[in-house]
Amino acid sequence: MLNTIMKTKLFGWVDRRTGAEAIIKSQLTEYPAPKNLNYMWNFGSLALLVLVIQILTGIFLAMYYKPSAAFSYGSYTVAFDSVERIMRDVNFGWLIRYMHAVGASAFFVVVYMHIGRGLYYGSYKEPRELLWIIGVVILLIMQGAAFFGYLLPWGQMSFWGATVITNLFGALPVIGEFLQEVLRGGFAVGDPTLNRFFSLHYLFPLLLVAIVGGHIHALHVVHSNNPEGIDLTKEEEKIMFHPYYTVKDAFGVAVFLLFYCYFVFFNPQAWGYFIEVDNYVPANNLSTPAHIAPVWYLTPWYTILRSFESKLLGVVMMGASLAILFALPFLDRSKVRSARYRPVFKQMVYLFFVTVIVLGYCGHSAPTPTLKLIGQIATTYYFAFFLLLLVVPKFEKTKPVPEGI
Amino acid sequence: MTEKTNDSRRNFLYLAAGGLGGVAAAAAVVPFIGSMLPAADTLAASKTEYDVSTVAEGQLVVIQWQGKPVFVTNRTEELLKQLDGHDEMLKDKDSTAIDAVSAKWLTDENRKYRSIKPEYLIVVASCTHLGCIPGYKPSAGRKEWGDSVPENWPGGWHCPCHGSLYDLSARVINGSPAPYNLYLMPYKYKSDTTVVIG
Repeated sequence: MLNTIMKTKLFGWVDRRTGAEAIIKSQLTEYPAPKNLNYMWNFGSLALLVLVIQILTGIFLAMYYKPSAAFSYGSYTVAFDSVERIMRDVNFGWLIRYMHAVGASAFFVVVYMHIGRGLYYGSYKEPRELLWIIGVVILLIMQGAAFFGYLLPWGQMSFWGATVITNLFGALPVIGEFLQEVLRGGFAVGDPTLNRFFSLHYLFPLLLVAIVGGHIHALHVVHSNNPEGIDLTKEEEKIMFHPYYTVKDAFGVAVFLLFYCYFVFFNPQAWGYFIEVDNYVPANNLSTPAHIAPVWYLTPWYTILRSFESKLLGVVMMGASLAILFALPFLDRSKVRSARYRPVFKQMVYLFFVTVIVLGYCGHSAPTPTLKLIGQIATTYYFAFFLLLLVVPKFEKTKPVPEGI
Repeated sequence: MTEKTNDSRRNFLYLAAGGLGGVAAAAAVVPFIGSMLPAADTLAASKTEYDVSTVAEGQLVVIQWQGKPVFVTNRTEELLKQLDGHDEMLKDKDSTAIDAVSAKWLTDENRKYRSIKPEYLIVVASCTHLGCIPGYKPSAGRKEWGDSVPENWPGGWHCPCHGSLYDLSARVINGSPAPYNLYLMPYKYKSDTTVVIG
């Protein structure tokens, strides 16, 4: 079909002025992709899809959302009421808001799978170090966008979540208090905070689009890794992106939409995981909810924060747990990429995945002494995983990698 | 695997898959465009009550009904007399061009006045050209208004945006860019002086 379009006169006119045909062919239709990619390689295109869904639904929500903490007559606050109005009065408002709220969680599910795949198959290794680093930047911006967005409904979780996180910055020496005031625009989270978070919540996705562009460009320069983790040199080891991977990605999209639509239409709160129950209570700066925890996708890092007795150390280690991802390509010097041929690394990386899930569970639960200890053990392994990568290649007996595929 | 591709089968599959995808995409557009239409609380029937006795003789008051400006004019005997004698200047003297310039309560008796009680004219204050609010220039002739109105001005409204002219029953005068008389709306008198608009 695309070939038919590219033969038309109109396309020819555009092509002579932009070189569109060459770009489409080299970057999409005839882009050479490894022929052995498994379903773990579907999550990149899914992440792009969710980004588009988030931006689209966000634009429409912004037409009705009002970022103001001012009290409204006979009701709660302007922001809280505007969200309730979207749910009750705006045509399909409930659908668009749930698409956006579920989309936020779906985005992290998809991206965490994508990152896990990169870890397991060694996609961060040479020559893809920068591709990985750009990906970590994307993760950080996503977490920022999600955090800013969670304040907007101005419910109890919004308010106290933002209070806790902005207080984190206060723990930093010298600049802490300054940073905190810059973030809040006041001495506590309040109306100015809500306004700037809305502005930044709109800005960050625009940054994402630009950086995702860079991510894809970097990918197309160094080309996709593959489950065997070997460099593909022969022509017959590759197939054209279209139709082989456009169809496979489309299939992945269909499966993804099945799950996504289940949550959007039948379980948008996802038992309190996607939208926390306390956030249906309007923000009250004089009363903290009995149990406060971030949304699930931030809980692993929240546990790392809680695992340290010293406030400053907790904040620094939480920052370090994310920053260490930048260093990963340089910590792990093994010449073999895929975990398939690295028996020790394979066990380590599986344990790492379990550890992150344990960290997430601990962060979501109310703090108890047992969970604190489990969280501390998990935190230890989280960092140990990265540091062990420095020494593992020295003794790990890797299996022979295949010559080709 | 055969060397030859079955083109007609392939084209059918392309069309079927593309067609279904197109239908799904079109269906997905519905809630998004739908969300941009007025919300339920905006649509919720809104009525405006107004006490017309607060409008002094000859005075014009602009009130709001469903977010739109509405003129409430108290026309004196003298102003009502100015409604006669310029029928040939009017685009639509009987207010029959479109539904919006008429109302259920408009009968042959009050057609000239375009109001239930002759003295109280109640019309939507948006010029039917591009929606500006016309200025009130009730006295006849040019004495007070200068060049902004024609020499045989019967008194009425002059729109500051593009110069549309209306007589004292808000009927549009020939030569105006506005196509229709100012719109009427359903209203009734709840008591002698309280009118319920909408």
